[in-house]
This record gives sequence, structure tokens and C-alpha cells, in this order.
Amino acid sequence: MSGMDRLDESVWALLHEALRVYQDSPRATLHLRHQLARFEQPVRIAVAGPWQSGKSTLINAILGEEVAPVEVGDGRQTVTWYEDGPAPRATAYSAGGVVQELPVTRSTRGMRVELSGPRPDHVTEIVVKWPSRTLRHMTLVDTPALPAGAGDDGRADGGDGILDDADAVLYLTRDARDSDLRFLHRAQEGAVANAAPVNVLLVLSRADEVGGGRVDALLTARQLARRHRRDPRVGALCVSVLALGGLVALAGRVLIDGDFGALAVLAAMPRADLEPYLLSTDRFVGPAFPASLDAGLRRGLLERFGLFGVRLATTLIRAGFDSRPKLSAELVRRSGLTELREALGRYFVDRAEVLKARSALAALERVLRAEPRQGSAQLSARLEQILASAHDFRELRLLAALADAQLSLDAELSAEAVRLIGGNGTALAARLGIDYQASIGELWELGADALGRWQDHSEDPLLNLDQRRAAQVIVRSCEGMLAELAGGYPPSRVQ
Amino acid sequence: MAPIWLDVLDETARLCVAHGRTDLLERLRQKRAQLLDPRLRVLVIGEPKQGKSQLVNALINAPVCPVGDGPTTALPTVVQHAETPSAVLVRSPLPVAGRPAADASRAEDRIPLPMEQVATGIGGKLRQRTADESVHVEVGVPRALLATGLVLIDTPGTDTQDPARVMNGTVGFARADVVVMVSDATRELSVTELNLLLHVLQSHPHIIVALSKIDIAPQWRAVAERNRHHLANAGIPAALIPVSATLRLRAARSNDRDINAESGFPELIARLSRDLSRKNEVLAGATAGLTARTVIEQLAAPLRAELSTRDDADDSGPMSRLREAQRAVDELRRLSARWQNSLNDEVTDLISDIEYDLRDRTRQILRKVDEAFDEADPVPAWETFQEWLESNLVEAAEANYEWLVQRCEWIAQRVADNFRGYGYDAAPDWSLTTPQDPGSHLSAIEQPPVDRFTPVQKVITGLKGSYGGLLMFGLATTLAGMPLINPISLGAGALFGGKSIHDESRSLLKRRQAVAKGAVQRHVDDFFIKLNKDCKDTVRNVQRTLRDHFTAVTEELQEAIVQSFRTAKQAADADAVERDQRQRQIEQQMKRLGALYEQAQELLTGRATASRVPLGPRV
Repeated sequence: MSGMDRLDESVWALLHEALRVYQDSPRATLHLRHQLARFEQPVRIAVAGPWQSGKSTLINAILGEEVAPVEVGDGRQTVTWYEDGPAPRATAYSAGGVVQELPVTRSTRGMRVELSGPRPDHVTEIVVKWPSRTLRHMTLVDTPALPAGAGDDGRADGGDGILDDADAVLYLTRDARDSDLRFLHRAQEGAVANAAPVNVLLVLSRADEVGGGRVDALLTARQLARRHRRDPRVGALCVSVLALGGLVALAGRVLIDGDFGALAVLAAMPRADLEPYLLSTDRFVGPAFPASLDAGLRRGLLERFGLFGVRLATTLIRAGFDSRPKLSAELVRRSGLTELREALGRYFVDRAEVLKARSALAALERVLRAEPRQGSAQLSARLEQILASAHDFRELRLLAALADAQLSLDAELSAEAVRLIGGNGTALAARLGIDYQASIGELWELGADALGRWQDHSEDPLLNLDQRRAAQVIVRSCEGMLAELAGGYPPSRVQ
Repeated sequence: MAPIWLDVLDETARLCVAHGRTDLLERLRQKRAQLLDPRLRVLVIGEPKQGKSQLVNALINAPVCPVGDGPTTALPTVVQHAETPSAVLVRSPLPVAGRPAADASRAEDRIPLPMEQVATGIGGKLRQRTADESVHVEVGVPRALLATGLVLIDTPGTDTQDPARVMNGTVGFARADVVVMVSDATRELSVTELNLLLHVLQSHPHIIVALSKIDIAPQWRAVAERNRHHLANAGIPAALIPVSATLRLRAARSNDRDINAESGFPELIARLSRDLSRKNEVLAGATAGLTARTVIEQLAAPLRAELSTRDDADDSGPMSRLREAQRAVDELRRLSARWQNSLNDEVTDLISDIEYDLRDRTRQILRKVDEAFDEADPVPAWETFQEWLESNLVEAAEANYEWLVQRCEWIAQRVADNFRGYGYDAAPDWSLTTPQDPGSHLSAIEQPPVDRFTPVQKVITGLKGSYGGLLMFGLATTLAGMPLINPISLGAGALFGGKSIHDESRSLLKRRQAVAKGAVQRHVDDFFIKLNKDCKDTVRNVQRTLRDHFTAVTEELQEAIVQSFRTAKQAADADAVERDQRQRQIEQQMKRLGALYEQAQELLTGRATASRVPLGPRV
């Protein structure tokens, strides 16, 4: 969109001006150059969450290979970056500036990194290059677990740094409890973060454990996620809430023939015979198991699928997903991974430019606050101006307001508004609500129609001031879409 | 026979009354009633979504607590035995300070609830609870397990880092004998959970950690092992029992003994039953011990504080006054030495200064006299001179005396300044004995005997001189044929005669001047000696007056201060006796508390560990 380009350019220009002002401060210069460099890079998504919330499993599920976690001695974790690269490579950076190449072993399911070297406990960062299509558009950051009490005392060491450094955050939690919300709330400090709280996606991970691992656990988890999404306290902190059965998703993505065979054997057993042995993990791996499956194989299945995964997979095979690709696809679909990837694309990858501009502005704000000097006042004035006038942020703010149900528009209007300002995706078709390949003329017609109607809304005396302002934002979005349509094609053809 | 723990509790209660801590008494009374109650109250706590309600349901095989996928339990639920299923919502005002709890229980508001609503989660709809009332649900179900006297209390999940808040909320209300902390087997105990346990342990010695959901966690054995390790590290003496509510409920449906055994619930129930049967001995003992210990610590705290403040309490009260008085006495002693020294020094200085001044003034007069008599003839101006000398001397004496008076006043003030702190800085009234007119010291200076140059002497002297000259020149001129007496010799004789007269008169003048000077010198010396003597006498007088005055002042002060010192000392002595008594009293009380504490400790740890070093109150 034209508006987006302008935001991009004005942030770019502002950063260059800031560089000029701060040219004698090496620290600030380094910081700002870093931000400029990031404009070229894929959007950075940090995976954060409390201890054992399933961060590494999620990364593996997204990448479809078992690459995480990279553990640094004694279970300690460190920040691990997953970037696209031509060949698997892992590099460790230590506190003293020591750079060390780590040996990578490829396995059938992914890779293992051997952390050798003299002082593994001094490693502060590990960068993993991994050839993956997914990573071409985003860089994933696996973060150490948030320390206990992070939600209450706010400034957790490490946690903040990661959230500052990332363009977007996938926040994982088992049950979205209050301490998680408090943490997210603290993490959104500063003018930029407050103006555009659009870079957090809340994930109810370990959805397969909901309700003690019943077969309908994932469905229940999805309902829970929907309930959270409607909760205004949650909605104000994140773009959306999704449920994910991480283990099932990963199992689905890396399903190998051996495992499928074993599952098929299980599914072939009479249901009544099998069921008592799916009651508990002990029974499943116990010696009394009726089927001719090696105990080691069963233990492996349990490890990779979880008891819920095994239950689900056998049920699915019986229901007709009786080949490896079919089962794999269905597991992925049921786990919620598909929706998660869609959401990642819609909210983060599609809006990469906006998110990066936002990160850059936030970084600039921090520099301005940390080192005030002559000229920085003008810079922060410009920053505020961009923040206040950029249409993208206005769209995002409106999106947040709509999600918050602050505007009390009726449901239909609200849904259309969310769609038009890109809440369901920023592509033209998504904004105009078309899911097929539409011609330019159709798009133009729809756009013009929406523009007309929302122009009426913006002047409707029955709506209150806030609602009319919201309508104005949407009108501006519609105009932008039409301008894009007109700009992309000769006007004669459009008409 | 009443068990020992009851004795300990009652003794503690008596001590509470003795110490006037009725606020603690209420707690003891409650605890006593609770411990005498044969039922076993089991409180189930834990973080959200760990399976607390499911655990309760599985224990009694009935869906009495709401179980759901989101946070479901909103109100604490008390599950107890009843012949027919019943459910009541109880609203009770929280005990407010100043209002006895008996009133609070009377004001309870009991609303019957339809039984079928309970399991589907009434809590959510009745969530609105005001700040000053506590709301809970009481469910009665006919179950053999409950009939033995087991009361289960299900609570909402605790999602906070602050254990105290949890304690004040549900845990306080529950009056539990046993606390069951539920933590699921998919992960190890978190730091928050351990903190909560540590906090609960302070008031509830019996804790069981139920590791729930072992059916879905393949690694539960490892998790249980790690959890036991964590508990041991944190010093929490809690038993860890792995359970699976799913299996238990399944077993109940299918009546399958094996599955029931696998669920881990038989162990938990056995444990609870054992606690129930032994409540009167072991469990109650430990709880009573802990309660008594807590109460005793609270009783001992103010005593200990009093003892420790006692040591530095000397800054106020009689002891400090005594020390103050002692300081005053010392100060006065120093002062009296100081003022005497300064008086002596000042007077010595004064005498030497005055003497010097007087000598200097007389010297100047003498110098002037010398100068005058170097030139002038004392005889003709003697009268005038005498007047001049007299007036000068009187003037010098007066100036000198004036200075003396000033200096004396200054000294008096200077000495009096020493007494400023006592309010006695006024110089004494005194009158300087004004010496008589200094002129009277002077005997009139007598005219020195003067050799006058009479005309007869002049003629004789002239003749003597002219005779030589006449003869000399006459002889000389005879050689020139001139007679002895000729004009030349006559002229020379006259010349010589004149000269000798002149010489004679000059030497006479000199002599007169010397005589006059000598006379004046003697006179002035006499004057100086007399006047100096007078001055010294005056100064001595002044010194004596001042000394007498300030000695009197000092004595007066000393008397007052010594008096107050004596009073202070008496007061301090009396106070010391009283303090000793109080100290002994406190020590006795502490000893009694200590003994009771030992007993409580024995109850708490059991005889086996009684040899552990007691944490008795520091006496």
C-alpha cells in the first residue's frame, strides 16, 4: 500500500537524521545502524513464555524439523536465533566476544548441535542457520524461560531485552493466567509500544493436555482460545489468541513411516481391546500390552505423540486417514498449527514492514530517552508526528480498539471494519473480503462501494464521535486501496 | 485423660491471658475447638488447572466440584458427609478487628442451592463478593469415606507470586488439619509453588503433595523424583503421592480394582484415613505444637524486645538523671578551678601592667624635667616648676588609677563569665576604695639649697682673675720700658677678671641645676613608690572581694547540684531495684515460655527428634 511505503520511508529518513545527530556517540550509532540494517532482514519473531510452556516444540513444529532446543550445559538455555541459510550451521557467541563454530549432526528428524568447547556456560547467543522455506520470511528466536515472578516484578532480566530486540512476539502459555497477562502488560511500555500494541500473539500451547487429554482436547482448547480472544483484558495485549497442540503438530509434521506403521497396528486392534491400554502412559508401555509392538517403539511413540497424540492418531486412522500423508496432514490441521502459521503470515509476515518500522521507532525512542542532547527534541517531535499520523498505526490502533469492543459498533459493521483495515490480512483481496482470484474491476467495485458506505458512516449523526473517527480511518483505508488499484493499472482499464 | 497437646494448648492460653493478649486467645480457642473436632479437614490448594476439583471428585467418586477446561472453581467448596445430598451457599462477614468472631458466625447467610447446579459451576455466577464477606459453598454427600469424618475443601487456583495473599484468603478460612497441594505431573514443582508450600508450612505442619495427571505424563516417575528432591532441598517435610483422577473415575465406573490401584488414590485415601485416625494423637499434637509455638513466639517477642531495649533504655529515666547530675558536679569542680586560675592570672597581669604604666608616666615627667633643667636656671622658676610638676604627677596618677578601675571591672566580668551557664554571671557590687587625692602623697618638694653668686663674691672673683692678667701683661710691658701698671696691663687685667667672673657664674648654675634634678628625682621616686603601693593594695582588695564573692557563688551552686545529685542517685537506686525486679519477672516469664516452647517443639517433632537443638526463645 502507498501508505505503508510512506511510513517506511519516513522512518528510514528519521533514522538517518538521528544517525547524523548522534554521529559522535558510538553506542547510539551502533544501535541505529543495527536498526537500519534490520530493514532488509526478515521479520524477527521471538518465542517467549514461562518455563516448560512448549517454546522449542513450537519452533520445531513451525519449521517441521527437530532443531530446537540447543541446550547450554545443565539444562540452561540461551537465546537461539534460527535463520535461513544454505547449509545447517551453528555458531556460538560468548560473553568475551569469542565466536565458535559448533558441530552439527543431521538426523532423520532434524539436527543436534554438540556444544563443545572450553566454557559452554559463557555462551550468550547461538545462531543456527538452517535451510528452510519458512525462515526466508521470518527469523525465529528461541528465548530462555521467563523467570518465575516475571509477571509480578516486571523487569525480568533477559526477557525484556528479547522483546525489545524482536519485531513480534509469540507468547506461549499453558492457560493464559493473570501472571502471563501482567508480564505482557509490563512488556508494552513506551509511547511506541502503547500506540501500536500489535506485535504479540498469545498461544495456548500444550492444548493437548486440556481436560486431561480427552480426545476432544484440541477442540476445547480452541473454544478456550476464542473465549480469551473475546476477553477485553486479553484483547488489549495481543492481536489474537490461538490454541496449539504443540506435540501433535510436531508429530504430524515429522511423521515417519515407522511410527505410522506402529500406529496402524494399534488402530487395527479392536477398540475395546486397545482402550484400557490407552488409559495411562504406564499401561501403554507396560509389559501386558496385547499388540506385538516392541516396548521401546511404544515408548518412542509416547515420547513423540504424547498419550493424547496416540489416542488421536489411532482414532483418525480408524476414521479413514489411513495413509501417512493423510494422517500427517490431519494431525497438523487438528493441532492448530495451520491456523498458527496463517496467523503468523497475516499478522506478522504480511505486516513485516510496519512491524519493523515500529521496532525501529521503539529503538529510536529508547536512544532518545537514554541520550538526550541537542537536536533530540526535534527528533522526538518528528517521532511523535510519525506515530500520530502514519495511517498504518492508525489502522492497527483501530484494530485494537475494535478487538477491545470499545467502539460498540454493531457486530456486522465491526467485522467489516476489521476486514477493511486489514485485520484478516493486508492483501487487497483479504481486505475486500474476496477469497478467489478476482479481477481488477470487481475489486474496484467492491472498494468503491465500501468507500461510499463508510463515507456515509463517517457523517452519520447517529454515530458518536469515536465511531465517526473510526469510520474516517476506514475511509482513508478504502481510498488507499483504490489508489493502489489505480496506480497499479492504467486508469482506462480500471474503468 | 486429656492428651498432652491439650495441656500445652491450655497452658499457652493461660499465658496469653496472663500477658493480656486476648487477641491470640481467640486463635487458640479456634484451634482447640478444631483439634478436638474428630473430623479431619483437608484443604486442597494449587495453581490453576492442576486438577484440584477433579482430585476431590475422584476421592469421593462424585461430581461435586465443578470441573472444566478454563478456570472453573470460583468459590471454595467444603465437601462433607450428609445423609442426603445438599448444597448451601454460605456468606459470612469476615471477622473484623474489634468484633468477636462469635457475632460473625451468627450473621452467616445460608442460601440453599439446587444440587444439580453445583457440579456445573455455580461459582461463576456468584462471583461478586464484597470485600468484607467471605463466600463459600458447602456440599453434603452420602459417602462412606466422608462419613468417617473427612472434610474436603476445594479452592480456586492460586495465581499469584505472593503466598501471603493466598494464606489470608482461602487457607485462613479453611482451618485445615491437612493441606494437599496439587501439582500436575507434566512439569516439576515451580518456584512459586515451593514458596507457597513454605508459607503454608508455617501454620500447617501436615502437607501432602499430590502429583496429579500421571496418566498423561510419560515421564511422571522422573518428575516425582525431581519433586521429592526439590522438597527435600527446600526443607519441606511433605509426602509426595502420584495420583490420576482419570484412572480413579474410570475405575469407579467399571469397578476395576487394578485401575483403581494404578490411580494412586488408595494410597492417598489410606494416608488421609491414617491421619484421621491418629488425629487426636500425632496430628493434633503436631498442629497444637506448631500453634503453641507460634503463639509463644508472639508472646516472647515483646518481652525480648523489652529486655533488649532495657539495655539501652538508660538514656531516659532516673539513671540518665543521675548521670546528668554527676556531670554537673564534675563540671562545677572544673569551673571553680577555672575561675580561680583566671582571677589569679588576670590580677598578676594587672599588677604588672599598672606598675609599668605608672613607671612609664613618671619617667616621662622626669625626662621633661631633665630637659627643662638642662637649660633653665631652677632658681628663678622654681615656683612655676613646682606647680607644673605637681599637676603632672596628679594627672599621671589619675590616669593610671582610671585604667586600674577599668581593668578591675573587666576582670570581674571575665571571671563572672565562667558562671554564665549557671545564671550567675553578674559581677559583684563593689566599691573601689578611692585613694585620697593623689596629691596628698606628695610632700611639698623643698627647694634645693642653692649657692647664690653674691656681688661680693663676684668682686673677689673678679679681682682674683684680674690680678693674674695685670701682672702678666705688666711684666711683659716692663720689658718694653713701660711701667708695671699701664693701660695694656690694666686692660688685660679687666679682661681676665671678667672672664673668671663669667666662668664662676656658669659653674654655679650647673651645680644648681644638678641639685634641682636630684631633688626632683627623689621626689618623683617617692611619689611612685607610694602610689604603686596604693594601687597594689587596691588590686589586692579587688581580688579579695571577687574571690570571696565567687567562692560564695560556687559554694551555693555546689550545694544545689550536690543536692540534685543526691536525689538522682536515690531515684536511680530505687529504679535499679525495680528494674531488677522486672528483669527477674521477665526472665521468669521467659523461662516459663521457654519450657512450654520445648514442650510444643516436642509435640511438633515427635519424641524421636526431640534431641534436636531446640529453637527456644532467647532469654
